[in-house]
Amino acid sequence: MDEKYSSNVLSSGKLGMVEVPNARLTRYIILLLISKVLKAVGIFESYDILKVVHIVQFIFILKLGSAVVLLFFQKPFSSGKAISKRQWIKLLKHSVLGCIISLLGFFGLTLCGPLRTLLLFEHSDVVVLALLAVLFTTSGGGPSKTRGAALFIIAVVCLLLFDNDDLMAKMAEHPEGHHDSALTHFLYTAIAFLGVADHKGGVVLLVVSLCLKVGFHSASRKLSVEVGGAKRLYALDNLVSSAVLLPWVIVLSATTESKVESWSGLILPLALIVFSVMILEFYVEAVCAAKMEAPRCARYSTAALFLSALLLAHFWSHPFTDRLLSVRTPLHGRGGTEHVLSGGVVVSAVIFVLASSILSAPSRKGQKGTLVGYSPEGTPLYNFMGDALQHTSQSLPRFIKESLKQILEEYDSRQIFYFLCLNLAFTFVELFYGVWTNSLGLISDGFHMLFDCSALVLGLFAALMTRWKATKIYSYGYGRVEILSGFINGLFLMVIAFFVFVESVSRLFDPPNINTDMLTPVSVGGLLVNLVGICAFSHAHSHGAAKSCPSSDHGHSHNEHGHGHAHGGHGHAHGSHGHAHGGGGGGMNANMRGVFLHVLADTLGSVGVIISTLLINQFGWLIADPICSLCIAVLIFLSVIPLIKDACEVLVLRAPPEHEKELDHALAKVEKIDGVLSYRDAHFWRHSASMVAGTIHIQVMAEVLEQRVIQQVTSVLKDAGVNNLSVQVEKEAYFQHMSGLSSGFHEVLAMTQQMESVQCLKDGTCIM
Amino acid sequence: MLPLSAKDDEYKPAKLNLLAKTSGWFRAIFSDQTSRNLFFFLLLNLSFAFVELSYGIWSNSLGLISDSFHMFFDCTALLAGLAASVISRWRCNDSFSYGYVRAEVLAGFVNGLFLIFTAFFIFSEGVERALEPPDVHHDRLLPVSVAGLLVNLVGIFVFQHGGHGHSHGDDGGHGHSHSLFNGSANHKDSHTDSHGGHGHSHGGHGHGHQDQHSHQDQHSHQDQHQALYSQDKFLPGKGSSKQILQGVFLHIVADTLGSVGVIISALLMQKYDLMIADPICSMLISLLIGVSVVPLLRESIGILMQRTPPTLDHALPECYQRVQQLQGVYNIQEPHFWTLCTDVYVGTLKLLVAPDADARWIQTQTHNIFTQVGVRQLYVQIDIAAM
Repeated sequence: MDEKYSSNVLSSGKLGMVEVPNARLTRYIILLLISKVLKAVGIFESYDILKVVHIVQFIFILKLGSAVVLLFFQKPFSSGKAISKRQWIKLLKHSVLGCIISLLGFFGLTLCGPLRTLLLFEHSDVVVLALLAVLFTTSGGGPSKTRGAALFIIAVVCLLLFDNDDLMAKMAEHPEGHHDSALTHFLYTAIAFLGVADHKGGVVLLVVSLCLKVGFHSASRKLSVEVGGAKRLYALDNLVSSAVLLPWVIVLSATTESKVESWSGLILPLALIVFSVMILEFYVEAVCAAKMEAPRCARYSTAALFLSALLLAHFWSHPFTDRLLSVRTPLHGRGGTEHVLSGGVVVSAVIFVLASSILSAPSRKGQKGTLVGYSPEGTPLYNFMGDALQHTSQSLPRFIKESLKQILEEYDSRQIFYFLCLNLAFTFVELFYGVWTNSLGLISDGFHMLFDCSALVLGLFAALMTRWKATKIYSYGYGRVEILSGFINGLFLMVIAFFVFVESVSRLFDPPNINTDMLTPVSVGGLLVNLVGICAFSHAHSHGAAKSCPSSDHGHSHNEHGHGHAHGGHGHAHGSHGHAHGGGGGGMNANMRGVFLHVLADTLGSVGVIISTLLINQFGWLIADPICSLCIAVLIFLSVIPLIKDACEVLVLRAPPEHEKELDHALAKVEKIDGVLSYRDAHFWRHSASMVAGTIHIQVMAEVLEQRVIQQVTSVLKDAGVNNLSVQVEKEAYFQHMSGLSSGFHEVLAMTQQMESVQCLKDGTCIM
Repeated sequence: MLPLSAKDDEYKPAKLNLLAKTSGWFRAIFSDQTSRNLFFFLLLNLSFAFVELSYGIWSNSLGLISDSFHMFFDCTALLAGLAASVISRWRCNDSFSYGYVRAEVLAGFVNGLFLIFTAFFIFSEGVERALEPPDVHHDRLLPVSVAGLLVNLVGIFVFQHGGHGHSHGDDGGHGHSHSLFNGSANHKDSHTDSHGGHGHSHGGHGHGHQDQHSHQDQHSHQDQHQALYSQDKFLPGKGSSKQILQGVFLHIVADTLGSVGVIISALLMQKYDLMIADPICSMLISLLIGVSVVPLLRESIGILMQRTPPTLDHALPECYQRVQQLQGVYNIQEPHFWTLCTDVYVGTLKLLVAPDADARWIQTQTHNIFTQVGVRQLYVQIDIAAM
């Protein structure tokens, strides 16, 4: 906490965000977005050009073109003070560094294609600085920044590992012979020396050069002040670097023959690139940085850039685009070595956008404090409200830790959680194996499993939520969540059963050919997992009544035994149902029942698959599959009905069936209490597994002490199981009061409204 | 002189019992306009599904058969609505002391859940198809979906018409039994011109919000409430609630949207060969369905979980304050307020009062105060503080 008072507050700059109204900024934002989109187009275009033009030549042309334009606009020589010799030398160093960085960047572009380059290389300085601060300093800026950094790294790793680009393999085959200069050759060998594939090398190269770029930018700030403005520096820098590159280019063009057929065809795209990548973006960014805060700028531009890059990557090599831009035909369609848009790239693009928005979010420090004055040393003093101190951003690990603790506290949620973990592990193994062997069946089955896990997640969440404390709004507490969750799970199963039924009916008419080779191991694995689940959950709520699942049977072959198990489980569901009815408040937990039924249904599914596979393999009965699934659908349906019925009864506020008799007796007893005339409007309903609520009106004789009656009634009904009761005691005079007042509810209401409409009602006594 | 008989049951053979039961159901269905509409629409839908099924079996087209099963599944929503609207009018008995009025909330909830499921399935299928667009045979698709669209349009028209008449009736001061619907009906009416499902579904969505606001200023709805509370005590009696209607209406709108989407994508595919149109259409539709269902679900979950009614959120603190200002009241304990069904609120309250306070006066006053904000059934337990 003392960090807030340290000098960090001063260094972090602003005192709270100065929120400029959006309306004024709209045109700058639009300008920024347009320039970013144009830049994406330019990068894509330059990737195409780089296929024919040598990289050094290309950079030279870019620098020269922009230098010419900038000289025209900026007039660095005619305006401003003269530049000393030392400054010229600094400029030279600066531009050499700049050349190297842009060389690296464009080389990375040739390696991994425009989309990946944009994703990796075009982060604004704010984002990267925040990232580096998190990674290499202790006071990174709180858990949210850590989260952002983790996301960033995940995105890079995603690009490295999960991006299976077909082109990469192709390019790796011909690293030599394709390169026509010592420089590219050197870089290639350097990357090959690292032992990674071309494309991955490109990713690494781009990350390194991104860091270099950011360092370079911050280093050049001082120089820009010396020279007289960033714009002037930029213009001069371009000029000097083109001068630096000139000899190299001359040597190059003298020694190697150019691959370009006609330079005239390239003028237009090159001009576009110079305009969009070098000039427009620079100016717009400068303007926006002046008008808006840098973080905001960064957020918008990153999002625009990445999204447009994704779109462009999809449509760039589309034949439709080719038709539109027939001008570029000489460039396009060469060799067809386009980088494909793989899933990994899309995912990492999304993660990049997230990460950069988190990282560029303004630091919270000193934001909520109000400046109260300055200390004698001159450091500002802040006054923090309690709000600012309490509202620290919740750390993600701590949140996870706490919820884990909560989950593990109770038996139910612990069971669900362990089983969920098991299920998820199985699913991911299946998914990975499916991706590995490129088997579509396994992948889709994995996704099905993932979907099934949603029921478990729902159950887990309900089990957690049930324990929340009652709030002002949910005055009875959240106990009903578990009933709702059981209900939803049951409905869900019904829907699934219905669809399975329909599908199996349609298969009955037309049995399809199933390839059974992969099915058996997977379904046996699923069966094992589910059997574990059934055991766990049946222990959870069978109180020794139905031990239908001896765990010693596990190692056996599961084909016939599985069926027996399933039936046992099925019967068990009924058993537990009966138990819940007869037990009398023993712990009817609809949530667990829903989860259990779900697991049971899954088990039945795998058993069915195994049996039908066996039948098909052994006897060639293709009809076995639909019949099996038909039976399973019916079984699921039947086993869900009791759950749904019970949940419905609870939800429509039925008097709890297991307490019905006791309640009748209790009410009879209430009537016999001394002084009680009668009762009316007795309502009892089960709110959650542990709470039965009730309300009752009792008419008593005039001379009876009310308090005593209330106590007696409460104790009688508490014996009957009602633990949340409110008793209204009414005497004769009360009715006279009420009937004298009005004859019914609606009249009171109407009267009130009339009075409200004439604004004469001050307080409740006015009616009297 | 007619002979008098005490043995009534001898005059009822078992066969006739079933008949009587069925006729009783029919009477129950036909006694209320909403359930009548629901019933007719269900019949229409079922017949369409049967025609489709039989034609599919006859022409041996698997697509038609599966589509007809889908229609059957859709019918379950209607069936749930119909059952709920009948059940909710059953009288209360010993075990169901509040009656069956909650069935309507439950029906709305189930319908909403089904819609969410459907939307999810459609969405996942759309994603799957977007990744690899399959070859859709659009030769038979168009007529079937146009017919489905017609059926669903009839449904929308019927349910709007019902609401329409009511909103008129209300303006004239009629005391209709289900004037509850008119809040939504009015809103939807304003959208009638923008034909096509898009506007409709937004109408439904907006309705969820609009309704909550409309209760804030109750005095502007004065005569509507008068008509509404003409029933005795807390039982809403015949009024079929907006939950059922909202659920059913959303379902029909979803179906209509589905057919519209199929038609559009079929046209796009035929004219321009844009295979991607089909998955994009279905994804958009499922998103629309999902978004429009959310208010209904949130509302019904709130009711089922005994949430304090959102319309009372602002009124209650004021009431507490007023009760506490009554002479002799020390404290309010365990205030529970919840919604039984649409617009019927139930509350329980424990008051800690001084030993010398006039308990009866306090009770009456409390009842008055809470009646004014619309709590129909109130239980006030008065506990006398120990000295």
